[in-house]
Amino acid sequence: MNILAAVGVDNPPLDWHALAPELVLVGLLAVLLLVDAFGGERSRWAMPSLTGIGLLAALIPVATLAYDGVVRSMFDGAYVVDNYALLFKALFLIAGYVVVLLSTNYIAEGDYWEGEYYQLLVASLLGMTVMASARDLISVFLALELLSIPAYMLAAWRKRDLGSEEAGMKYYLMGVFASAILLYGMSLLYGMTGSTLLVDIAGAIEGTEVPALVALAVVLVVVGFAFKVSAVPFHTWAPDTYQGAPTPVTAFLAVGSKAAGFVALMTVVLIAFPTQPRIFEPLIWALAAVTMIVGNLIALRQTNLVRMLAYSGVAQAGYILAPLAVAGVSGASAAMAVEAVSTYLVIYAAMNLGAFAVVIAVARKTGSAEIDSYGGLFSYSPVLAVCMSVFLFSLAGIPPLAGWYGKLTIFLALIEPGTLAGYILAVIVGLASVIALFYYARVAKVMFVDPAPDGDTTPIRVPMSLAAALTITVAVTLVVGVLPQVLARVTGAETFLSIGG
Amino acid sequence: MLLTDISPLLSATTAGESYSDFVRSYLTVAIFGLLALGMVALLLGVGSIIRPNRPQPGKYLTYESGVDPVGEAWPQTQVRYYIFALLFVIFDVEAVFIFPWATRLDSETALVDSSGNVFEILGPYGSYGLVKMLLFIAVLALGLVYAWRKKVLRWM
Repeated sequence: MNILAAVGVDNPPLDWHALAPELVLVGLLAVLLLVDAFGGERSRWAMPSLTGIGLLAALIPVATLAYDGVVRSMFDGAYVVDNYALLFKALFLIAGYVVVLLSTNYIAEGDYWEGEYYQLLVASLLGMTVMASARDLISVFLALELLSIPAYMLAAWRKRDLGSEEAGMKYYLMGVFASAILLYGMSLLYGMTGSTLLVDIAGAIEGTEVPALVALAVVLVVVGFAFKVSAVPFHTWAPDTYQGAPTPVTAFLAVGSKAAGFVALMTVVLIAFPTQPRIFEPLIWALAAVTMIVGNLIALRQTNLVRMLAYSGVAQAGYILAPLAVAGVSGASAAMAVEAVSTYLVIYAAMNLGAFAVVIAVARKTGSAEIDSYGGLFSYSPVLAVCMSVFLFSLAGIPPLAGWYGKLTIFLALIEPGTLAGYILAVIVGLASVIALFYYARVAKVMFVDPAPDGDTTPIRVPMSLAAALTITVAVTLVVGVLPQVLARVTGAETFLSIGG
Repeated sequence: MLLTDISPLLSATTAGESYSDFVRSYLTVAIFGLLALGMVALLLGVGSIIRPNRPQPGKYLTYESGVDPVGEAWPQTQVRYYIFALLFVIFDVEAVFIFPWATRLDSETALVDSSGNVFEILGPYGSYGLVKMLLFIAVLALGLVYAWRKKVLRWM
């Protein structure tokens, strides 16, 4: 593999193994583009299969790197491949694979632009895998733009549908607005410290004589990411975008894009700002508390399932933010927070993708995502109804489904430092979960008790790829719920925090 | 603990020397902005006081080089120009990277500090750099191939 490096005289040796997942994705992108350009209409059917195979191929180097277990740091520490990065690379690639499964029939039957759809999806995934390794302001920002810009276009994919155009436009405007805020914060950080490396920034702002500027920079950076993860009060784009975008894209945004935002937030806050807990802790505390309460209260009143899932996603972002609000107390609390956020993101990806898979399957028959249209689902498609209940109750955090383990790690992380702030936030998480159970259970009640609204009880035919997506997500939701130690083995935070100092 | 610990925000006004320097440089901007606003207010204000006021319909027409205005003020432009502008970006990005790369392909580069002393000499990129740049151009060329196959280059 090292032929190129051997030719050079005094060029930096590149670690090709560490870059292999990204290189596979770039190669996949080139293949998709050429097949689409030269294959024409005949090659359309091959697009989803090629993309799926390519994403699974990119998982192979992730697995070999994880087996190798060495922390690989490149470009003076701007790009690090450790267990933390590999966990998220694997999460993004598998989530991307499930999104391809969700998209296969939806995009092919909708007569959309198939080649470009999968190219943009892979480009966005490439940005996410880069984000998992980015430890430098420039690489974080590049990764963020690389994952966001294709997502803006995907949200507007139903070209002649006004709702989809609105979704894309809102997402784009709020996205670039957030990027601008983030960039302003980053420019202040660079101006003060003279470095873009997160580790160097942490050292340089420790004993700074300009605390107000540091505070401003930290607040701007956190707020920039708060837009990306749709935390209240920066969540306004999410429901409209989720409802208007094609449903597989919604699943992709709600899981992939949000998880990438959290990875970036966690990386920047815990590596660059560990010496500034007095600034980021109260800010994230308030964001998390408001996000949980407002997200859940608005979700109560929704009549459209996709919109309800959007607000529930906002509320879930609050749960995931919560551990970061106490991450600055000690090294142990930071480690617990990383573990809780990583665990919850993996579980959230499985149960949320699954819920969207059922929405797509049901919409194939009813053509609607209104909660009323789910009436009688159990009577004519019992498997789908049971799957949906599994995902909804997992989102609510009911044992023995995976969601309860995610909530448990969050509670443990909140209680660990033993501060009053942590206890209060834990109580808010508990109360918010109780509110959430109400609207999740209401959907289950409609599915099991109410009659079918139009009396049409022909069973829903679920295509193979959707069935595969449902199998994967149900399996993860059940296995992690019953045997959480499977997941706990891979979500440890040791290498990440040792690099963070 | 949470609510009392916002002292760094509050102590901003009493912070060190460099922070007030930082703010002072914005003072210039503020003064300049106020001057500009004052100038506009002064000129328009004085003008509105001393000028005669005789309204006529002809005065409210859009001025178009002495000719009567034709058509709407919101004309549409051919969208195909936009696609050519996008294609231009491919070559633009290529040029931005190739020019600095070309200076180091075959010769050494000396890094000089502010007082003119050479503190580091960088070797030429050589064949390693050549291969890398060819890869970069190949990836960019893919975009052009895509545009060509999608019949973007044809003027319809």
